[in-house]
Amino acid sequence: MNIAVVDYGTGNLHSLIKALERAGAHVWAQADLTQALSADAVVLPGVGAFGAAAAQLAPGIPALHAAIAEGKPCLGICLGMQLLFDTSEEGTGSGLSALDGTSRRLTGRRVPHMGWNDVEMVDDPIFAGMSQFIAYYANSYVVEPADKSDVIAWSRYGNHRFPAAVRRDSVWGVQFHPEKSGADGLRLLDNFVAQVGT
Amino acid sequence: MLRKRIIVCLDVQNGRVVKGINFEALRDVGDPVELAQRYEAEGADEIVFLDISASAEGRRTLLDTVRRTAENLFVPLTVGGGINDVSDVGLALRAGADKVSINTAAVTRPDLIGEAAHHFGSQCIVASIDARLERRQVEMITHSDGPAAPTGAEDSATWYRVFTHGGRNATDLDAIEWAVRCAQLGAGEILITSIDQDGRRAGYDLELTARIGEAVTIPVIASGGAGTSEHVRDVFLLAGADAALVAGILHDGATTVGALKQYLAESGIDIRQGPVEMPQP
Repeated sequence: MNIAVVDYGTGNLHSLIKALERAGAHVWAQADLTQALSADAVVLPGVGAFGAAAAQLAPGIPALHAAIAEGKPCLGICLGMQLLFDTSEEGTGSGLSALDGTSRRLTGRRVPHMGWNDVEMVDDPIFAGMSQFIAYYANSYVVEPADKSDVIAWSRYGNHRFPAAVRRDSVWGVQFHPEKSGADGLRLLDNFVAQVGT
Repeated sequence: MLRKRIIVCLDVQNGRVVKGINFEALRDVGDPVELAQRYEAEGADEIVFLDISASAEGRRTLLDTVRRTAENLFVPLTVGGGINDVSDVGLALRAGADKVSINTAAVTRPDLIGEAAHHFGSQCIVASIDARLERRQVEMITHSDGPAAPTGAEDSATWYRVFTHGGRNATDLDAIEWAVRCAQLGAGEILITSIDQDGRRAGYDLELTARIGEAVTIPVIASGGAGTSEHVRDVFLLAGADAALVAGILHDGATTVGALKQYLAESGIDIRQGPVEMPQP
């Protein structure tokens, strides 16, 4: 099985690629979205800023949007999750619109929301075998889905409850960093790879 | 609930983890990749590599070390030391760092923080500040029956001065004001090190940490002075730190991350408990 990790050219992809390889996938980094579509699944990683990433992805967005609509499995992580939606307060440009909604700046005593936080999971195959999950976050923005039934997990920060994970059909998005969330994060990536294989 | 973090700091020189003895002789204590993994398995929430290589070759070696570490480490890795410009930030992140900490270069050119945050996002920029408590130059009056006392109010008699170049060079910056400025420029976290307390194992500088925490709205990592588990507890409970940097007491085996976290949990602190077992690939 082949998985393309989209490379925006800004950050660390090593841990994510290695984690997906451990799960049994053949993984490569791909800057060109159109070429990434030849993989069995596409992962949008979580490094950089919305505006810059949206601008870089823009030429390939219609093709990826169409592929997702036809069932291409996709996982968006942190910024990658926000890119699955329409827009973001963080910057100009458009996301993939695979899910409906926007990203808004998080309110809390301290922003960025940085560190390990509890994830309240709803039953979904991507959480298979996980009874409790504390995940690593590094985000200043959170998604606001138009359809709350897309949300498959929540986290709390201060008085705020925000979507920790979303899913619609074969598209998943996670606001935390599974590749930085220790053993349970690796399990989640294992589960994603297993879903791609089914 | 967002947990308090235990961040383990490793000094890296020419691709090896080293430990200073009386600030002079450096002793080789192991391979950074192995040590980082060991601390992750014990339950460390994050790892920091502080590069103390003096040469360009040492820095290139560090990037290779970061690459090998990132492929086997599944908690965040921060790289500090020798980050001088946006290009250095990019190289460290591409090599596998999740964050970089910037110290002297930010004092020299504050716009570096903003530029790096713009390119790579605030969440990966840690503003590292080394500070020392100093007396203000105020007129002193001498009491015949006691030591000299400043004429001003007690709380304005001292200030925290920022130092650069590993604590060697004094600046005119006030640490609290500089922390606020770093946050405004786009830093995602403040790493505050007390030069007075560093290496003394007598506890963190609680006042410095608390004052930074009150002044900024980004997370604050306390550093310098941990000698016991109680010191780490105090910096969370009394100074409100979001994370504590720990080095010496772990490296020499005085305690383990697991034992430290167990103690913190029993003290009522929300902590992610270790150790954890990694699944086999």
